[in-house]
Amino acid sequence: MQVRRLAAWTALPLAATLGLAACGGGGDSGESDPNATVSIQIAEPQHLISTNTNDSSGNQVLSALFAPLVDYDEQNKPFEVAAESVNSTDNLTWTIKLKDGYTFHNGEKVTSDSYLNAWNYGAYGPNGQGNSYFFEKIAGFDDLQSKDPDGDGPQKAPEPKAQTLTGLKKVDDLTFTVTLAKPYSEFKTILGYTAFYPLPEAAFSAPGVIKDGYEDAPIGNGPFKMKGTWQHDAKVEVERYDAFPGDKPKIAGAEFRIYQQLTAAYADVLSDNLDVDVTVPTENLSTAATDLGDRFQQSQNSSFQFVAFPTFQKEFSKPDVRKAISMAIDRDEITKSIFKESQISARSFVSPVVAGYRDDTCGEACEFNPTKAKELYQAAGGPAELKITYNGDGGHKDWVDATCNQLKTNLGVDCVGAAEPKFSDLLTKVEGKQPVGLIRMGWLMDYPSMENYLGPLYTTNGSSNYYGYSNPDFDRLVQEGTTAATPDEAVKKYQQAEDILATEMPVIPLRFGQNVYAHSTRVKNVEVDLFQVVDMTKIEVVS
Amino acid sequence: MSELETVAAAELSGGKAGSADPAARPRSLAGDAWRDLRRNPIFWISLVLVLAVTAMAAFPGLFTSNDPHDCTLARQHAGPGGGAPFGYDFQGCDIYARAVFGARASLLVGAFSALLTGIIAITVGMLAGYFGRWVDAALSRVIDVVLGIPLLLAAIVMLKRISSDSPNIRIIAVIFVLAILGWTTAARVIRSSVISAKQQDYVAAARMLGAGNGRTMWRHILPNSLAPVIVVLTIALGSFIAAEATLSFLGIGLKAPTISWGIDIDAGRTHMRESAVALVVPSTFLALTVLAFIMLGDAIRDAFDPKLR
Repeated sequence: MQVRRLAAWTALPLAATLGLAACGGGGDSGESDPNATVSIQIAEPQHLISTNTNDSSGNQVLSALFAPLVDYDEQNKPFEVAAESVNSTDNLTWTIKLKDGYTFHNGEKVTSDSYLNAWNYGAYGPNGQGNSYFFEKIAGFDDLQSKDPDGDGPQKAPEPKAQTLTGLKKVDDLTFTVTLAKPYSEFKTILGYTAFYPLPEAAFSAPGVIKDGYEDAPIGNGPFKMKGTWQHDAKVEVERYDAFPGDKPKIAGAEFRIYQQLTAAYADVLSDNLDVDVTVPTENLSTAATDLGDRFQQSQNSSFQFVAFPTFQKEFSKPDVRKAISMAIDRDEITKSIFKESQISARSFVSPVVAGYRDDTCGEACEFNPTKAKELYQAAGGPAELKITYNGDGGHKDWVDATCNQLKTNLGVDCVGAAEPKFSDLLTKVEGKQPVGLIRMGWLMDYPSMENYLGPLYTTNGSSNYYGYSNPDFDRLVQEGTTAATPDEAVKKYQQAEDILATEMPVIPLRFGQNVYAHSTRVKNVEVDLFQVVDMTKIEVVS
Repeated sequence: MSELETVAAAELSGGKAGSADPAARPRSLAGDAWRDLRRNPIFWISLVLVLAVTAMAAFPGLFTSNDPHDCTLARQHAGPGGGAPFGYDFQGCDIYARAVFGARASLLVGAFSALLTGIIAITVGMLAGYFGRWVDAALSRVIDVVLGIPLLLAAIVMLKRISSDSPNIRIIAVIFVLAILGWTTAARVIRSSVISAKQQDYVAAARMLGAGNGRTMWRHILPNSLAPVIVVLTIALGSFIAAEATLSFLGIGLKAPTISWGIDIDAGRTHMRESAVALVVPSTFLALTVLAFIMLGDAIRDAFDPKLR
């Protein structure tokens, strides 16, 4: 606690001085002041290179600096932004035409090469980019990887066979083709993700090598450019890029202010020292509506909270045990009492924001029925002691404890919530096959598709399938979905796959999240999207 | 100190009572201290509190009939009622029942840390004070080194290594960590009183009568240098309880399902604005207990210290 408090105390005066500096304008005429800047809360981004950024804070900054190929409309269907068109006849070879007129902030023209260089860099194994798995679908990805023969040992991994993806071909300066390893009907959808931003020539010191210091001042093709450099643990400042050909932002710039503690940001937005607090902490939820009135807002996002059963713990191997535990949890009580309705009870395995979502796919297993749950649990011989392991830095204690209390009461078992400091500590225990009990998991989609909720989480060897679930039928259906000719056919396959999950219950769906954010009296039209990112072209400053 | 010597010397030689009060029974140091203590209201207040907390730790059922583990969200922040005089906390647990049951962990940690501290301190202090010379020099440097380690910081580092979630193992770990880091003051006190006792005539007499090192230390010096240590340990017991609560508050001491005031204070803190009772009740229990032990130790010290008389 001492450490956390310290952080808060250092953040407060800092934030206060910055806030004062930002409070420049503020006349009384007109509706919106295009020359004013706004301040937005983020956490320290992990990276600011598009192929390596997958945290929402990094995405927030990059979304101001870059314009994506496609973005998503209200129905979460992709529409072109920096791309003129994205077409394919066979779902295997995709032709991407770029809009003319886009330039990088240093004046360089955005060309096909800007994309090809960036994607090759992201896919090249030795670069260790966090988003490299997005390029897996492109032909030639395997040739860019190499395995270290002795793990962490002294031998070095051999050079990969190739430096560039064979599936990427330049046609002319504004056209290129992408050949996939297998047909994939939703390739256009995933192009909206951060990983698919372009990189300018200026980012590279040699072909395939990112220049030192590029990450501290990324050069993008978006509506804002960097002002100064990334000041670690303090702020990232951006200003409007006037040569941007797309939708112009209504503000002159923004300061992304880095907070270590959510409660400090909340205190700042209360006192108008911060304009947008993207995540109102759970502990402030019950008072936020009175504190802020209509400046406290909620919007849909794509997050999905669940608990998973590690397959190495044999006591959970019977589906009936898992089903009984699920039926003993009163989801509505927890969303009401703990989350003050800021989250929604989940009874399906995919978020309502994606096409193909159906209500109540898990049926009886997700209905609260304590008597039936207890009968089922005892008949199936469930363990007398349960444990829910969670990461202690994410504000999960309250609901984990409440869930445990419900299991205690409704199943007549002992239950404890065990906190690990960070999610990575939790994963270390899971990988070491230690008895962790149920594990807390959360998922925020990368691109709006059912596949993004099914593939990484439940397919054998899925990138986030930490609990080891494996079902060949499920794998096959997801695979058939990704190679289906049309999105509608794909959805049908995905739904069949989801039905398998409902009968086997490898995880227990608990809640769908929402953005709960707050803004100051200075700003209006604040919108936070499905990815927890503030829409930088819509926000305005009241003058 | 003069009284102590005469009484001890008189006992040793089997002679008559000391010269201070020829009329009545021999006045011992303890007798004088007791006479002082009886008139000290602070002593009585703190003694009652200490006894009350001890009873709570031993027989929590006498104080509440509610199960502290019986929590349901339906009662979240509900007011007093149903045998819960202070109402219910965020998770719908009985605040009072949890505070009562929290006494056990705190007292266990406090008492056993103090006991272990006493054993380490007496061994080290006795050896250093009795043998002097290089033994003293070496042991005193060890004391200096341990004294230089910040208790909380070192406890955090050590307890982070304990990954077990078993309640018993965590309690034992906390006891050991606090004892290992907290024995130095008591050892210094023992050392200095052993040094002064060693030079007394009755020690020389025992030596002359052929008592070996072990017997001299155990039978003659130890009983006469114990009083100040008991006082130091009583005060330390209070601070160990506070240290346990601090570590549990930080999430690295005791962990659920063990009930500890530190854990409850942490939980109450996050929902302070909705209901402060869940924070105030365990804090008050903790503050009163720590204060009681420290005041008790203070009162006893004042009574035993002839310089203050």
